[in-house]
Amino acid sequence: MNHSLTFTHDEKQASVTVPTNTLLADAARLAGIDIGQPCGGQGRCGRCAVQVTEGQVRRRSTLRLSEADVAQGYALACQTVVEGDAAIYVPPQEKIERRLTTDRVVAEVTVPEDYEYPFSQTVRRVHLTLTPPSMDDQTDDWARLQTAFRLQRRFETVTCSLPLLRTIGSTLRAGDWNVTAIVEISRPSDHQTIRLIDLRPGHEDEYSPLWGAAIDIGTTTVTLWLVDLVTGQVKAQVAEYNGQIARGEDVISRIIYASKNGGADELRQRVLDTINELLERACKRVKLPQGKVTPDQIVKATIAGNTTMMHLFLGIPAASIRLSPFIPAVNHPPALTGREVGLNVNPEAAVDCLPGVASYVGADITAGVLSSGLDSAENVTLFLDVGTNGETVLGNRDWLVTCACSAGPAFEGAGVVNGMRATTGAIEEVWINSDTLEPTYRVIGGGKPKGICGSGLIALLSEAFLTGVIDKGGNVKLDAPSPRVREGAHGGEYVVAWGKETESGEDIVLTRVDIDNLLRAKAAIYAGFTVLAENVGIPLESVDKVLVGGSFGKYINVEKAVQIGLLPDMEWSRFEFLGNTSVKGAYLALLDWRKRERISEIAKRMTYIELSADNSFYEAFTSALFLPHTDLNKFPSVAEALEKSNS
Amino acid sequence: MALSGIQIYKLLPQTNCKECGFPTCLAFAMKLAAKQVELGACPYVSEESKKQLAESAAPPIRLVTLKADGNEVKVGNEVVMYRHEKTFYNKPGLFLRVKASDPDLAKKVTQADAYKVNYVGMDFSLNGYAIEADGDLTAAVKTVREVTKRPLILISNDAAALDSSLSLLAGETALIYAASESNYESLAEVAKKHKAVLAVKADTLDALADLTQKIQTKGVEDMVLDLGGKNLGDWLMRSTQVRRLALKNFRPLGYPVIFFAAQNGVEKEAVYAAQAIAKYAGFVVIDTFAPEMIYPLLVLRENLYTDPQKPIQVQPGVYEINSPKPESPVLVTTNFSITYFAVANEVEGSGLPAWLVVTDAEGMSVLTAWAAGKFDAERIAKAIKGFNVADKVSKKRLVLPGHVAVLSGEVEEELPGWEVRVGPREAVDLPAFMKQALN
Amino acid sequence: MPIEIPKDKWPGSIRTVTIGATSAEGGTRAKTVTVGGGTTMPYLHFEAPTPNKPAIAIEIKSRKPEDWSPLLAEVWGAAMADPAQWAKKAEEAGADLLVLALTVEDSPEDAVKAVKSVLGATGLPLIVWGPGQAEKDNELLVAVAEAAKGERLVLGICEDKNYRTIVATAMANGHLVQARAPMDVNLSKQLNILISDMGMPKDRILMDPTTGALGYGMEYGYSVMERLRLAALQGDAMTQFPMIVTPGFEAWKTKEAKVGEGIPEAWGDWKARAIHWETLTALALVESGADIVVLRHPESVKRVKDAIGELVVA
Repeated sequence: MNHSLTFTHDEKQASVTVPTNTLLADAARLAGIDIGQPCGGQGRCGRCAVQVTEGQVRRRSTLRLSEADVAQGYALACQTVVEGDAAIYVPPQEKIERRLTTDRVVAEVTVPEDYEYPFSQTVRRVHLTLTPPSMDDQTDDWARLQTAFRLQRRFETVTCSLPLLRTIGSTLRAGDWNVTAIVEISRPSDHQTIRLIDLRPGHEDEYSPLWGAAIDIGTTTVTLWLVDLVTGQVKAQVAEYNGQIARGEDVISRIIYASKNGGADELRQRVLDTINELLERACKRVKLPQGKVTPDQIVKATIAGNTTMMHLFLGIPAASIRLSPFIPAVNHPPALTGREVGLNVNPEAAVDCLPGVASYVGADITAGVLSSGLDSAENVTLFLDVGTNGETVLGNRDWLVTCACSAGPAFEGAGVVNGMRATTGAIEEVWINSDTLEPTYRVIGGGKPKGICGSGLIALLSEAFLTGVIDKGGNVKLDAPSPRVREGAHGGEYVVAWGKETESGEDIVLTRVDIDNLLRAKAAIYAGFTVLAENVGIPLESVDKVLVGGSFGKYINVEKAVQIGLLPDMEWSRFEFLGNTSVKGAYLALLDWRKRERISEIAKRMTYIELSADNSFYEAFTSALFLPHTDLNKFPSVAEALEKSNS
Repeated sequence: MALSGIQIYKLLPQTNCKECGFPTCLAFAMKLAAKQVELGACPYVSEESKKQLAESAAPPIRLVTLKADGNEVKVGNEVVMYRHEKTFYNKPGLFLRVKASDPDLAKKVTQADAYKVNYVGMDFSLNGYAIEADGDLTAAVKTVREVTKRPLILISNDAAALDSSLSLLAGETALIYAASESNYESLAEVAKKHKAVLAVKADTLDALADLTQKIQTKGVEDMVLDLGGKNLGDWLMRSTQVRRLALKNFRPLGYPVIFFAAQNGVEKEAVYAAQAIAKYAGFVVIDTFAPEMIYPLLVLRENLYTDPQKPIQVQPGVYEINSPKPESPVLVTTNFSITYFAVANEVEGSGLPAWLVVTDAEGMSVLTAWAAGKFDAERIAKAIKGFNVADKVSKKRLVLPGHVAVLSGEVEEELPGWEVRVGPREAVDLPAFMKQALN
Repeated sequence: MPIEIPKDKWPGSIRTVTIGATSAEGGTRAKTVTVGGGTTMPYLHFEAPTPNKPAIAIEIKSRKPEDWSPLLAEVWGAAMADPAQWAKKAEEAGADLLVLALTVEDSPEDAVKAVKSVLGATGLPLIVWGPGQAEKDNELLVAVAEAAKGERLVLGICEDKNYRTIVATAMANGHLVQARAPMDVNLSKQLNILISDMGMPKDRILMDPTTGALGYGMEYGYSVMERLRLAALQGDAMTQFPMIVTPGFEAWKTKEAKVGEGIPEAWGDWKARAIHWETLTALALVESGADIVVLRHPESVKRVKDAIGELVVA
């Protein structure tokens, strides 16, 4: 039986008559419309979605479509056959921005509902009006200021540093005895310890921004959020590779470098340079009617980072972290100031380094647990930080266990030949056509590709595996029928983008060594959480939710992460992608002293498990060093996908 | 049934008071689950929890100890069928059978007792003697006790002879072999009187279980089982069945097992003893004092009773690959077996000759060992010097793994006169490196 | 009181693999050797009988080995210089099948000639090993595989970095392959998967877990084999291949077996010790699930054969 179809594409219409069970993609081609099929018509990529506006079709697979999509008439042209007359709208391919059901997108940052300045905040702005001195009242300037604090604010004891003390007299007079004090209250409930951070002449607008910074010092990437403490809003988000990378990719290399002559100072300076540069960059991003924002206006900084990064940032010897029994110098650093730590913020700014748990589970994780809400979860929840140190936390509101494993920086785009951070120019998604082995990719910002970021690497590895470019051991099959598969300097490689398409003019490739690094990274993370779960006797299937943190950029495709065996094979709905949870936790702690106390609580409650204590980790690691895993039974959905792509 | 960490945690106070020496109750619970700490370390655990935890912790196979003057043989307390599941804990005692009637008894035992063999730094010897009462047992015990301080097994059915023999062994724990349906009452009495361990023998496991229960009611707790069996296969099955039943907490057979290796002839003795060592025997009795047999049996026992949870290590040393010559390069790696295999296989496969120096990195891979400070310039230099590598080569050229390129300067300082080269990070790139960079 | 003996019921079993082909089956062998088929942990006849007893292979070489122990040279004598002679003597010594190890000095023509002469000298099924260097292995084994098409030889040794050529030629010429991984359950399994993914029929793969010798890491091999066997019985298809192990090669490279002078007195008599070393290594591996053991000394063959006899008929 024949049916007549009308396609609408690019504001034109084309009609065609085809028999029952013709694929929409084939019908469209007959009508002169070529619907791109990046995966080669396998129903894998979901990019050939069209909208059936009228008529009857049969969808063989809706795996890539949400219920809402289907309700709106969406269908995959490569997986849908004609069953009657129909009208079909073909959206412009380059404009398909809709996300797949398998994509987990990180939510926008919103100010926590319970944030209330100044009550939640330890730093606040205080207006004082002092009685000017006279011959009758010869009280000194400092005592006069203290009196004003006492009488007008009931601040009994206010402390002040010497450099600030030197400026008080001139500030008081410049403001004609009207001043704005920025103070830090150690605990808002307890007005006993007040520290003067800044004294500014005149009465500033009560609700003008008061600047704070939330900083995550990652081994590979440093992330900084510039925050208006009054509104709680994040005004700028910036990130850059940690300048210490030049001295080693992982924490161990850094520790060893630091123990050499001058090494510690150099590393400390390198990360300070990175952060100070980010402070500048973030401040430049903010445009205000009042004028420019400069880093010295920042009066509070809250810092998260793994234990090693924290030690190196503070210039505290880190050598004992790497040697058995792995004891850091400090898990809970004291309250510090901008001047002490060497940040180009206000010298008196409150610098709050968040507490860690152990040598290999630092403040980045306690902050991450806070921001993920794991510590108050009712059901058993797994939190994975897919970063260089691959930390994992498992638990709920009753208990929390954690471990770390050295994954390496591959998922942050480092240590991979054409890897890069998830910024403009990074390939963030790739599909490979099963028949031609030709890739289709999506670039952040839409321009020419410069490299591949973490999510792009995950996609690429998964596609290369499913289309048979590489075998399950990660070996590039040099006999594959494509010019893109070739022998490179480090063994086989696959060309993702030819030089003529790229920003630099050089080919963008995935090499055997890259694949090994990615395999090791994913295997370490997978082994970490499986061994952790085994250690406490919790079967993975009983985990209710999997929260994924990491610097992938805006999203992660969980299906592809499952296909390479990075994430466990569960329903996609059980995954949530949280992005950089460490900086988010630092942000929450920056705003609200109650959240800050919760982080200390979390640090106290977490039980750290040393994975190197026996060889179960090694076992789990080698079994995960395969695509997707040596035990395919653990990945039923991948087994099915393989079955499909072989048939 | 063993409880998991989380299950135990639920029985603890959950106050994270740290008084047990662990940072959290969960950390303590997991150590308990791994049997690496005693529950007594927690001052606040409830009686109810104590009871529940004690039940889950009772060993399924009774720990039996034979003792003489300063020498002890502990067997039993095993918890698994296969060593990879946890480990085998208490090595079976290897005993030599001697005859009371033997005119050379003292000489034989003296000779055997002096036997000592060194295996990777450890000294091994026989654990004791089984005296067969084919003559005057009491006299034989006296003779033997004069020349050895090791524990004894007394093979006799004669309660009176056993009684007087055991009187000579005051303060010791000996093993009586063996109580059967016909004599168990008198032997149990002797065992009880002298606090001896009693071996129990029956033709079937059913009968054996009945007998151990009867003997237990006579007040003897420490028993050892003789399972009978006509050949290797038969005994393997019986031993497997008993271990399985014991692990399922079937108490009447929850005792160590004794096995006589020469029961089907001395020509089969080595093979019989080897199977018994591998398959769950607690005591293995041999008839032949032959160093060439005892040495491999002791090594087998040591091998199978090492903790499989420890990383797999290869012996540190200099390995010759493809018959190296004095001008061949010296490659360095760690003693983690997988690392060693990766390097050795690649080089072997390439056909290029090399000296492979394996350092003692406590069984860690290159990166892990380096991270933990077990593979540094000092250790590498120590290995090169300790193994006298300089004497083997004419060209002092050392190749470091690429992952520890950072060590090259220090290694050069530690090893004056050596040219230090940095090789590839991955073993797979070694052949290419050796072909290009080293020629 | 009757005790109920707990019996394990396993969903999986070891595959049955037949080596060698008779003239009726397209080869020239007088007999074939079938191994595997086990449905229990080794020799637990109270659960199920052992369908095929483990086979013993004797290792011979295409050229007289210069680095073998004098004890082996003494027992094999002049036959070592002639693979056909050696093969005959090995058959007389009780081998169920033979391993012919080629050497780096062999050209493809030499290799084919050696294989043909061994096939002509005895009717036993044959395993052929390359010299262990990737390029050379591929070159020699392809020539051998084609020349002996249809004989159901076992070609070895496939490793994770070099398996594709050997597997392809084995598939094309009706042979089997031996897949070796270094003492690790996962690596064994991974190699089996890679080989199966190429389309190799599953009844034509033997896995070689690598074992080490007594005193030299054998316990790791022992446990790896137990774990592979358990995984197979639990239904893991990629560990259900019969296992081939090489205690002869492993034991005879140890100082204990190889060296007769300058060793501690406590080691005892050299020859007796060397044979114990090979026998006990082999026995331990048989107990942990070996289906083919490759030995070197006729006395060890006799003892291991004896032990297997007692194990399979309890």
